[in-house]
Amino acid sequence: MVPENQITPIRIKFKKYGSLMYISHLDLARTMQRIIVRSGIDIWYSEGFNPQPKIVFAVPLPVGVESECEYMDIKINTPMPCDEISRRLSVNFPEEMKVVDVYVPDTKLKKISYIDYEITISSPYVEETTAQEINSLFQKDLYIIKKSKGNEKEINIREYIKSINVNYLNNNIVINTVVCSGNEKNLNPELIIEAIKKNTGILTKSPISELYSIIRKRMLCEDLTEFK
Amino acid sequence: MYKNLSSILKSVSKPGRYTGGEYGQIIKNKEDINCRIAFCFPDLYEIGMSNLGVRLLYGALNQEPDVWCERVYAPWTDMEEQMRKYDIPLWAHESKDSVKDFDIVAFSLQYELCYTTAVNMIDLAKLPIYAADRTDDMPVLIAGGPCAYNPEPVADFFDIFSIGEGEEALVELSRLYIKMKKNGTYNKKNFLREASHLKGFYVPSLYDVEYNTDGTIKSFKPKYEDVPKKVEKRIVADLNKSYFPTKPIMPFIEVVHDRIMLETFRGCIRGCRFCQAGMVFRPVREKNAETLNNQAKEIYKNTGYTEISLTSLSISDYSCLHDATDKLLEWTNPNKINLSLPSLRADSFTKELMNKVSSIRQSGLTFAPEAGTQRLRDAINKNLYEEDLLNAVRLAFEGGKSQVKLYFMNGLPTETYEDIEGIAVLAKHVVDEFYKMPVRPKKPVSVTVSVSCFVPKPHTPFQWEGQNPLELLRDKQSFLAEKITDRKIHYNWHEAKVSRLEAVFSKGNRKLSKAIAYAQKNGVRFDAWDEYFDYDKWMQIFADCDIDPDFYATRKMSYDEILPWDIIDIGVNKSFLISESKKAYESKTTPNCKEKCSGCGANKLGGDITWCPKTK
Repeated sequence: MVPENQITPIRIKFKKYGSLMYISHLDLARTMQRIIVRSGIDIWYSEGFNPQPKIVFAVPLPVGVESECEYMDIKINTPMPCDEISRRLSVNFPEEMKVVDVYVPDTKLKKISYIDYEITISSPYVEETTAQEINSLFQKDLYIIKKSKGNEKEINIREYIKSINVNYLNNNIVINTVVCSGNEKNLNPELIIEAIKKNTGILTKSPISELYSIIRKRMLCEDLTEFK
Repeated sequence: MYKNLSSILKSVSKPGRYTGGEYGQIIKNKEDINCRIAFCFPDLYEIGMSNLGVRLLYGALNQEPDVWCERVYAPWTDMEEQMRKYDIPLWAHESKDSVKDFDIVAFSLQYELCYTTAVNMIDLAKLPIYAADRTDDMPVLIAGGPCAYNPEPVADFFDIFSIGEGEEALVELSRLYIKMKKNGTYNKKNFLREASHLKGFYVPSLYDVEYNTDGTIKSFKPKYEDVPKKVEKRIVADLNKSYFPTKPIMPFIEVVHDRIMLETFRGCIRGCRFCQAGMVFRPVREKNAETLNNQAKEIYKNTGYTEISLTSLSISDYSCLHDATDKLLEWTNPNKINLSLPSLRADSFTKELMNKVSSIRQSGLTFAPEAGTQRLRDAINKNLYEEDLLNAVRLAFEGGKSQVKLYFMNGLPTETYEDIEGIAVLAKHVVDEFYKMPVRPKKPVSVTVSVSCFVPKPHTPFQWEGQNPLELLRDKQSFLAEKITDRKIHYNWHEAKVSRLEAVFSKGNRKLSKAIAYAQKNGVRFDAWDEYFDYDKWMQIFADCDIDPDFYATRKMSYDEILPWDIIDIGVNKSFLISESKKAYESKTTPNCKEKCSGCGANKLGGDITWCPKTK
């Protein structure tokens, strides 16, 4: 066993997009273990009866959401330059995942308090005035059912939204929003879609001609500066 | 089309089944390609991705620079509903292009209960399900896998069947396709005729089948002089030189076998009389320990898997097993890689082997005595004694294990109620063995008895047998339940209705195609899944199609009857199968290939055979 003080913490920032948005957090975690093993990175294993390579992810990414800013922390037993780790991971990542940065972190993952999402809705049923309609929807209290682990509770979605900006661009609705993230208050951006569906009827007519995408753009600290 | 699927994919269960993009998938430039192959597995992604044969063929075909082989799996019913509602044709994983636009569409038929799902996939691809209705501009449909050893029940749906090991044969077929496309001689008729001349390909439309008034086959003849009277299966000569995939695709979602699967050898020396695999994969050809170890290292480097499973029909018969495991353990142990060995025979279970396989993680032990009495074990040529089993479990108990699983079959030819009671007696002896030990594991002993129903299989010594009627199988199941009184013994049995349907298709002929087509039209699919298996519906379908399932499943055939699968030559002689069948009724055993050659005939296929005498 390598002494605790010789273990180097490493943070990896990566993107996950395209088909990979359908891969759940649990599946990503298993995939990542194998990527690290085949990259030949000497990762620190958890102790116990069934040792596993120890990987800690920042806020899990919901299925159906793409991301430009995923973070995961590992510890390595044998020192290796960050550039080399980055190179090895890049070779072993699947097509639709990219390494953005590898560094020794000086912050904790739990500092993340908000997440910035970009939501794009393309539908033959949206027009310039739709942006206004959606915008005003989120300016007042808005109740929606939140389901988690079999529980259902009604929440006021507005309390979870730090800021929201709705525009009509190239025939699409583009929403930029900063929502709460953390143990106490956490908002799945799909609930914003749910609220739009329920209150405007958009995205309820045809799953083939009406589409939407959600991209996680940045993770933010309490003071709204970008997490690093 | 695929681009518009995002909302649908978000609404179905496990969308990762449909989206591809895995590490290790092969993407090629369409401009360099002369033959595009869609390789279909008629079951869920999780099942299909676990199949080593498909992975092997995918890799072998993609070694050809101008061939691009992609994967296709059956969509689950929630996805199918969306595809039908929004008119989305079946697509391939890699390119997302429609299957109907490919040159060749290949199906792997691993078990009879996938037939309706396969036909449904043809329909979802928006192709006519019957081969005769498909035109020259549509893909050529081929099928292979274990079920192709009796291709007749699905003969009307496919243009060509690949018989035997496909890694070299399919490359030849795609080369023929490319050649004929290039020299302008291609049309489906010409291509099929040429394909029938290649070794190991069966083109059902080139044969006429006539029937007697009692429904048995009167004659089965090629329509033309140049079409072979028998199709001999293909084998790969030397496993140390043949292709093996060392950079497999890494699934994101959890699949059934999510580990390194390393093939050790093909064929089986045993010759159990009920076992199709034991006959059709002859002759035995082994990979040497060095090849195996090199391949394992290569795959580990390319995957990052932490478990290696050595696969074969009966791993303890692998002559290099000790050498190979020693070589592997040298580097798997320090890298925390778990080594697993499936299908251990009780008579070759040793302490040394147990220590090797349980070096990192523990798992329960499973043995398959198959029958409860020595007489019946001799009749099926299992060549296993109660002594052997008790020795094996004693070793396991001494090694700290207290859970043992035992597999049996009921409904075997010559079986009596005494044999069934023998299962309960044998299981009890295993429990007693535990309590005989002065020092025992702390956990109480648990013996699981799992009993399936015998299904007569083509190309085995029991191919002429009829299955026990459903009522008799059920009676035997409940009889055994009464005989098992020890609470340390847990008894599981298979649904006899499932085995019944398997028997119908196993021994079926061409007339069954219409029932399968009718079933597909009526929404039958995923028969192998409990939630979709519907026996009563099947009985109605057979009745509607004027088919008597008993004619196939329970009727005993005579040795001189023309069998639907006689067209296929697996290398083993019919005379050998007949003599084995007769010996079963005398409870006489046959030595295994290592002990003595019994002259089955498979050595005529040649290859780098491990135990057989060379023919020349």
